[in-house]
Amino acid sequence: MLLSDIELHQATTLEQASELMARYAPGGRLLAGGTDLLVDLKTGRVHSNHVVSIQRIAALRGISVANGEMRIGALTTASQLAFSAVVQEQFPAILDATRDMAAPQIRNMATVGGNIASAVPSGDLPPILIVMNASVILWSPSGAREVPLDSFFVGPRETVRREEEILTEIRVPFPPRGFGAAYQRFALREANACAVAAVAASLWCNEDRSIRDARICVGAAAPTPKLVPAINTLLAGKLPDEKAIQRAAGATVEACRPISDIRGSAEYRRELIGVLTRRALQSARQRALGGKQ
Amino acid sequence: MIRTYTLTVNGQARVVAIAPGEILADVLRDKLGLTGTKKACNLGDCGACTVLVDGEPMTSCLLLASEMEGKAITTIEGVAQNGGLAPIQKAFIHEGAVQCGYCTPGMILAATALLEKNPQPTVEEIKDGLAGNLCRCTGYAGIIRAVRRCENYRDDGTCAKKEAMPENTRYRSVTLSMPRVDAADKVTGRALYTADITLPNMAYGKILGSPIAHGRIRGINVSKARALPGVLAVITGTDVPDTRYGVSPARYDEYVLVKDKVLHEGDNVAAVAAVDEKTAERALSLIEVDYEELPPVLDVFEAVAEGAPQLHERYERNINTVVEQNFGDVEKAFAESDCVREETFTGNHVYQQPLEPHASLAYWEYDGTLVLYTSTQVPHYVQYMMAHVLHIPLGKVRVIRPAVGGGFGVKAATSPLDLCAALLSRITGRPVRMVFTREEMMRYGRGRHKQHMKMKLGVDGSGKIKAFQNEIYLDGGAYTSFGVATAYYAGSMMPTLYHIPNYKYTGYRVMTNKPACGAMRGHGVPQPRFAFECLLNMLAEDIGIDPIEIRLRNAMTPNTRSVNDLDIQSCEFAATLKSVYEKSGWKEKYGKLPRGRGIGIGSGGFVSGAGYAIYRGQVQLSHEKPREPFVKKPIFPHANAVVKVNEDGMVVIVMIGAAEIGQGGNTVLVQIAAEALGIPASRIRIRSEDSDISPIDLGAYSSRVTLMGGNAVATAAAMVVDRMKPYAVAMLGCGEAEVRALDAKMFVAGDESRSVPWEEVARKYFNDKGPLVGTGCYKPPEGLGGDYKGSTVGTSPAYSFGSSVCEVSVDMETGKVKILRFTDFHDCGTPINPQMVHGQVEGAIVMGAGETILEDVQFDEKGRILNPNLHGYLIMSIKDAPEIFSGIVDSYEPGGPFGAKEIGEGSTLPVLGAVGHAIANASGVWIKDLPITPEKILKAIRARQPTKEPGVVSGSALVRLED
Repeated sequence: MLLSDIELHQATTLEQASELMARYAPGGRLLAGGTDLLVDLKTGRVHSNHVVSIQRIAALRGISVANGEMRIGALTTASQLAFSAVVQEQFPAILDATRDMAAPQIRNMATVGGNIASAVPSGDLPPILIVMNASVILWSPSGAREVPLDSFFVGPRETVRREEEILTEIRVPFPPRGFGAAYQRFALREANACAVAAVAASLWCNEDRSIRDARICVGAAAPTPKLVPAINTLLAGKLPDEKAIQRAAGATVEACRPISDIRGSAEYRRELIGVLTRRALQSARQRALGGKQ
Repeated sequence: MIRTYTLTVNGQARVVAIAPGEILADVLRDKLGLTGTKKACNLGDCGACTVLVDGEPMTSCLLLASEMEGKAITTIEGVAQNGGLAPIQKAFIHEGAVQCGYCTPGMILAATALLEKNPQPTVEEIKDGLAGNLCRCTGYAGIIRAVRRCENYRDDGTCAKKEAMPENTRYRSVTLSMPRVDAADKVTGRALYTADITLPNMAYGKILGSPIAHGRIRGINVSKARALPGVLAVITGTDVPDTRYGVSPARYDEYVLVKDKVLHEGDNVAAVAAVDEKTAERALSLIEVDYEELPPVLDVFEAVAEGAPQLHERYERNINTVVEQNFGDVEKAFAESDCVREETFTGNHVYQQPLEPHASLAYWEYDGTLVLYTSTQVPHYVQYMMAHVLHIPLGKVRVIRPAVGGGFGVKAATSPLDLCAALLSRITGRPVRMVFTREEMMRYGRGRHKQHMKMKLGVDGSGKIKAFQNEIYLDGGAYTSFGVATAYYAGSMMPTLYHIPNYKYTGYRVMTNKPACGAMRGHGVPQPRFAFECLLNMLAEDIGIDPIEIRLRNAMTPNTRSVNDLDIQSCEFAATLKSVYEKSGWKEKYGKLPRGRGIGIGSGGFVSGAGYAIYRGQVQLSHEKPREPFVKKPIFPHANAVVKVNEDGMVVIVMIGAAEIGQGGNTVLVQIAAEALGIPASRIRIRSEDSDISPIDLGAYSSRVTLMGGNAVATAAAMVVDRMKPYAVAMLGCGEAEVRALDAKMFVAGDESRSVPWEEVARKYFNDKGPLVGTGCYKPPEGLGGDYKGSTVGTSPAYSFGSSVCEVSVDMETGKVKILRFTDFHDCGTPINPQMVHGQVEGAIVMGAGETILEDVQFDEKGRILNPNLHGYLIMSIKDAPEIFSGIVDSYEPGGPFGAKEIGEGSTLPVLGAVGHAIANASGVWIKDLPITPEKILKAIRARQPTKEPGVVSGSALVRLED
């Protein structure tokens, strides 16, 4: 339960952090908020002799707006995200995810970048960010690349990020008119409990209320958060009525391959995903259409 | 690489040398001496280690200290300023927000941050703000009150709250909701728990637990561990005494470290002492154990089958104990019943999860005295067992019980830490401290037995119980521990609540390759009580009688001998039923709520202290004595007190070895002493923590402290007053029979103007005769119990009674249950401290409700625990806690001090059944398999055949209740 003799490298620039990570590859670990990494190190899930802290890199903090996007610095904590004016005004769906994420103390420590880069299957932010078409910036001395979040995750705790790359920023496009998203999670306890299943959904509707684009992402019940394929094909052009929502929920359940564990059986998770999909779509519709339903 | 860092803690710059991997919680505690920051889970799950970093609450167990330079850290020690308490601390003290105190520092810091941003938060905002802080004692009710009313404690540094008044004007101290005597220490972080105590030259011990659930040890190689620099001692089974220990004297079956077989994951294989904790941990990883893995048996029914793997040679077919009790003629009575229903229920493997992990610190004095600091509920039994295993006189063991952060039964026996710390200290010649991690706690076990219950209940047309048959298989785990008593309790407490004229009980306690189960709050009874209450509700609904009405028709009455020869004295069970009926709005709700909303009733009660001690015979060197034949009377007094008046007459010290474990025992005993002495409680100090100072009390188990400890203290205090009387007579010029002691005066009855200060009389006594001391003891009445095998279990001088109504909502699409509201009334005799009674009830409701819908230790197919932590094993958070109304009915127990009896365990018993009934009422499905998870509910809803809807009763059934 005590930490092994790690060596801590406190980087002050991205260059330094990247260089350290390259030097200690493949065993080096990036430390941001530490709420996942320190638990993993304490419980022995992860062994690492070299931890590279990026806490001192000021450029990774803060939320800005540019090019029709919200840009979230990777070190922004979940609490800072939830209390930022731009999120509160423009991205209510993100609040769905931060509201019940872990505990207040953890939200004060855990970073948005960490919640994504750690790629824990039950992470709360990835599903909602994916349906909002978010991307991440991976920086290395040879340049930065932008990766759509939907293709960022490879497996549980595995991503396309290379050792020397630092996840510096998350970009979320401002929702266009007629767009609404929502996140629904199910946990066994009212606070500070991992989701048993979670579903994020978004609907982008035309003036005539017909669906222009629809996305559903299942979390906590699959190795990685992924968009459910063919949802858009199923819904595009249709009105977001209960029938359409029900069909989308059915397709989502059909597409998911949940696991059984101490929190619930695969069968139960499928039931939950159906219910959560319907509720997420209903809430997304409310946000997309307001009073126009 | 160790470096110095400057940390700003509580406004002061502190330079500390730390290694990069050191965690802030450890640096605060070990290097800066700020032990108010508590470690309870170490993985960010519980919030006990919360500190403020630049004003924001964070869990210091997940922060690297070396990352904290330039940040302002506030610990609990920094909340009180200039010697004065902060308003939130006062609010915690006065609103009953403190019990064991282990969550308190983190809770106060989280509340401080919340109030800083939002000085008048709503209940919902409070719940959101404190959602990361777990509490196992209070049910969060007192904590929410304190935060909500914090405003009232601001002002000028004094408490704005009006002085509490006793609820009964006959009394001055008892029936008064005075703040706990230890509350101020607990809200400031001053209270010292065992793991907070560091002695010079202290070494650190750790135990190596078995990674497998069943196996034979072929060999152990400790040479690499011994060679590690900093390692002081390594011991294995060959180094420990050949004496077995345990709890039930007929079944001592544990060695300090296993001799040849491991019987569960975590079984104790070896122990080390080292100069620091890290070295001790590393040494464990260097011990090489060669196991021959044996097939584990994890299910009770598989364990009793022919050919199943055997755990212990002495327990054939793994049957640890069999109980067979038969009162009256159940077969005949079932034949005569108008309605009979038989159901099978399954319990869950619940773990106590006190916030404070077990901890022990041992050293030996020059004369061969063992000094043991230990987090225990039972200092005397620990003393007894240490003497037994170590073969030393009982008097050579000095047990010191520092503050204890909750027990609920898991600390009611001698732990391997106690024994290993003593042995390692003897070898190293240094004090040795050992602390469990959360995972080690759960692998050591001693939680609630999972019970498989088959019950059959017969009633006549009016709902009167004719017969009850009860068959239980208890999953005992790998050792006996309390298990024999558990198996008896599971049967014996059933006929104390209702008149049951014919009763048959068969119990089997079965060994499996899981951590041993023991005594948990309500010892053996909550699961059978859950099952019985569900069965009674099913029957009531079958025959169309309101569930509260059927209880009234069968309710136990005062001065009754139960069918199994238990003597009930005071009993206001019916009053608790009528009170919850009125207060909960039962009539308007039962059977009238929409689908998805439900209401349910459960009842229960418990002993106020066991009628007999755990071991027989007198207090003596235990391993030398032959097993004494049982006689139906206590051999020695179960509670003993010395009340000593200080020489100035101004202060009185109450000495009694009764364990304060967070339940409030110290406060109750001070109030009783104050009442009996006629002085305010503020002039009394209690010394209950040191066996060298205080005489034996058997401890905080079986809900015995208020009644038994209270009687001993009241008797000792009365002796002091009697000794003062002749001096008062001389000063007042009246007859001795006329002297009264009250309000710190001694005066002539009927003429209070003729009075002298109490202390003046005490000083006169001292001037003349020296120390003014009174002694008192309490023995349970002789002859308790019937003349059948096991008749002693369930005996008690008094029984508590209570009823709970629970309201829930069930999400019919996911099965998710939300516990909305509880209405509870209890008969606890005279409440010595009503606020603390409510605190026990509120805590029991949240613990009991959580155990009904959430809690279960889960095992894989090899017997390894799948959720040995507080994120896998979920206990209710503040956001899960229902709104609670707790009421106390008028009652007076003639055998209790000032009429008092128990509340701590009885309060748990109605809860499980009430929740189960409310869920059935809401969802239309009965779940008979604990915990009642959303998954089970949803599955049952899906599988439901069209049957009679529960919750529908005819109106006429209520008529009698209305009268």
